[in-house]
Amino acid sequence: MSSSAATSKGVWLLAVIALAAAAAVPPRSAAPAFYPDDPIWIDDDMALDASGVEPVEDTNAYDFVANTFGRMGERRDVGARNINTVGEVPDSSWFTNRVGRRAMTAGEIARGPDSRTSVSLDGWIVAGGKSAGVQPGFRMIDPSDGNQLYQIELDPPSNPEMATGAEMIGTAFYHAFGYATVEVYLAELDPATIVIAPTARVFDPLIGERRPLTRLDLDRVLRRGARQVNGRYRVLVSRFAPGQPLGNFRYYGTRPDDPNDIVPHEHRRELRGARVFGAWLNHDDSRGVNSLDMLVTDGARRYVQHYMFDFGSIMGSGTVFAQRHRAGNEYILEWRPGWLTLATLGLYTRPWLHIRYPDVPPSVGRFEGDAFDPAAWRPEYPNPAFQNMRADDAFWAARIVSRFSDEAIRAVVAKARYSDPRATDYIVETLIKRRDKVLRTWLAGVNPVVDVALSNDALTFDNAAVAAGLAEAPDGYRAVFSAFDNATREVRTLGETSGPSVRLAPPAGLPSAPDSYVRVAIAASGRMPQPSWNVPVHAYFRRTESGWTLAGFDRTPD
Amino acid sequence: MWFASRFLIGLVVCASATPAFAQLEPDDPTTRGEALRREREAKQLVLAPYEQNAAERLMHLAEERVVPLLNRDGIYARLGSLTTGSGFAYGAGYRDRSLLRGRGTFDVWAAGSLKTYSTVEARASHPIVPGEWATVEGFARRFGYPHEEYFGTGPDSRRDDRGAYDLHGVVAGGGLRIAAGRRLSFGVGAETLRPTADPADSHFVPSIDDVFDEADLPELGVAHRFTRTFANVTFDYRQPVNARRGGWYRVDVSQYDDRRSAAVRFTRVDVELRQYVSLLAERRVFAVRAKWSTTDITGGGAIPFYLLPALGGNDTLRGFRANRFRGPHALLLQGEYRWEIWSGLEAALFADAGKVAFRRPDVNLRGLESDYGFGLRFNTDNGVVVRVDAAFGSRDGKHLHVVFGSYF
Repeated sequence: MSSSAATSKGVWLLAVIALAAAAAVPPRSAAPAFYPDDPIWIDDDMALDASGVEPVEDTNAYDFVANTFGRMGERRDVGARNINTVGEVPDSSWFTNRVGRRAMTAGEIARGPDSRTSVSLDGWIVAGGKSAGVQPGFRMIDPSDGNQLYQIELDPPSNPEMATGAEMIGTAFYHAFGYATVEVYLAELDPATIVIAPTARVFDPLIGERRPLTRLDLDRVLRRGARQVNGRYRVLVSRFAPGQPLGNFRYYGTRPDDPNDIVPHEHRRELRGARVFGAWLNHDDSRGVNSLDMLVTDGARRYVQHYMFDFGSIMGSGTVFAQRHRAGNEYILEWRPGWLTLATLGLYTRPWLHIRYPDVPPSVGRFEGDAFDPAAWRPEYPNPAFQNMRADDAFWAARIVSRFSDEAIRAVVAKARYSDPRATDYIVETLIKRRDKVLRTWLAGVNPVVDVALSNDALTFDNAAVAAGLAEAPDGYRAVFSAFDNATREVRTLGETSGPSVRLAPPAGLPSAPDSYVRVAIAASGRMPQPSWNVPVHAYFRRTESGWTLAGFDRTPD
Repeated sequence: MWFASRFLIGLVVCASATPAFAQLEPDDPTTRGEALRREREAKQLVLAPYEQNAAERLMHLAEERVVPLLNRDGIYARLGSLTTGSGFAYGAGYRDRSLLRGRGTFDVWAAGSLKTYSTVEARASHPIVPGEWATVEGFARRFGYPHEEYFGTGPDSRRDDRGAYDLHGVVAGGGLRIAAGRRLSFGVGAETLRPTADPADSHFVPSIDDVFDEADLPELGVAHRFTRTFANVTFDYRQPVNARRGGWYRVDVSQYDDRRSAAVRFTRVDVELRQYVSLLAERRVFAVRAKWSTTDITGGGAIPFYLLPALGGNDTLRGFRANRFRGPHALLLQGEYRWEIWSGLEAALFADAGKVAFRRPDVNLRGLESDYGFGLRFNTDNGVVVRVDAAFGSRDGKHLHVVFGSYF
């Protein structure tokens, strides 16, 4: 017998033994589809002590190279793994449900994370240089607020009010979406009254460590900023987040030293859905290096709080210049259009080269809504979480976007305090235009049934796309009711009902025993604006003493 | 065999992974919160610090320590070429762009190239009026270009007549620059220029005195002491600095006097026009450059060959070696079509034409030397970082240029 044949025989023998062993193992327990506490609305990812977490600070170059040339994270068409059983994101160190779950006034949205109504830099002291980012700036402390540390940033001379305005607007929006953001304010800095703390230091790349910060260092920073006619500078004042800086998070993987971080970031709903928010606001700079992790001490426990950070490059702002034409339309490096352009000596032209931008104040930068295509929108380079975004992730985010009324958008933009009212008007108008496109793309693109409820005499729900005025109502709806076994996940059809409205009568014979479950598959019927509305969503109800409660919801069931 | 084993292994894995539904074991979690907590507790047992890989460490070093050194005040790293044909140069400098209450600048640097060229330079400027529309500046430079090439003077010089010389000396001077608005500026000044050209000691190129008669090059080995007085006017409306639109026009008039013995006295006029036209969001740029240089001997003697207008090399006629043509009068015409491939990378098609002449009337469009080619440029809005140009079509054959630094 040849050695090859002997090896082959050995492999088969091993396989048979392994299969037999697997079959002989007693049936292991499997998790039920729904636990009694489902759906959870708080994911306590601050429970375990994370004091051993070490800072991780990515560089722009590595983040670009890794995400452009590598295949970071897991790319799989699977549902988000941190959502609860009704397809929503529970509150956690990553996300706090705000406008998506409760009504917020325009004023509340515009206020964002701010704890103060305004700040004045009178009496503040320069505490050090800025550690990262292209926007010129430095750090100051407010002695009247317990020496609270703030970061001061300036606008580029070519585009006064642009970057600071973008930061103000972006912070308010991202806070309302549900992310943690730092407090930001606008203020005026008088260079003549600057006082530098004796302990102020700045990193010096020559010696590789921090050295005392001098007035000369500050003058060099100020020289890169837009000075007003009164000799002062309009500055963004960002309050440092509480805790110990840990660098940035990544849009893939988990922190290996954080016990609470168990869901790969590319499978987090709020990071996947951030693509929708990024598209709306043209946050092309939405990448790992523009995030922030802080180690927070809360009593006896220490946990990592995750922040969205640095909104200087949103809308038409490229932070230190007006946004480039490519921004939002193409990655920095996309092979096909590049090779085509090279090979055709430039005769091939990317579509975005033909976009015409209106003549607007410099504080707007380069921003428009007519050519904007939400589905084609791109950040600066591939983002693993964005690439994993599925229709249900996008729907979740789009529904949050739908909560921003025209009034709320105007209130947020007003916070930027543009001196030219044309800038305010143009940005408001463009954001409204882009919002509507976002909703048409992602809110109406899947079966938009929401807010499902079951009582003894009615199944009620809503159609988010119709409610937002994006589409005509379909001719009707149909619902298939099935008994659902929470342990085995087997389903048994009980009956079907249909009707022209969003209120349907349930079939007779629904189970009445406590803790029994029914699954209801709901889809549009007849003529409908989108063929995808014909694909049913699945709603799961648990029988309780007080009636039926929603235990689960799946917009894109396998 | 390989496939069979993989198939079987997969089968076993699948069999063991398929959930067999049954009642919960007593120690199974009973709530979602408990299930999640157990998952976290399991991870807590295998925590490990994040470790950067080599690429991350390298990029960290580059981004945090190296790149900031290039554009910083204080001690900085200087990279780029020193003169046409010097090769890549590197060195260090010290600069202060906020001198005297943030208004003046001071910069001193020293660099050497891979071809052993070297330069030490100090330069300072300071505005003298409120509004900073008038600025005085002074500078001093010591240079050593040990492998310069000379092919003879005039349009009929031959490539085979290549001789190397060592040009070295010092320049020091000062001037006044007046800005008349954002675009128009005037400059006047004077400098002392002490250059000397000596035969070169080269393994690859014959020394200049082996190729040419010493009688033809009386300035060889002579330590000249020129005083150069100059005046210029510049109109600059390029956008951005690495231009995509606008123009740059300059007229420069210089008077050279040899203080050593008043043996040489001449004037030189350079007129240069650059124009940029772009389309498609400035991602396609047509750039043209015209430069006319002329000299007049107003005293006795001859203009040292190394101060004559020259053509050839990576920034003029790219199909020829550096300073391939020298003559009292010169004309250069260049055109480029640049198109962006990706952000930060441009391709270019170019054509160069030019000639040198002994007589000013001979500076015309007849008998131009020419070349054409293709290039790639890694750039930013503020300049070209590195440029690779491949030139063809000249009577001197193909030439490849790799150049660090900006271009027209």
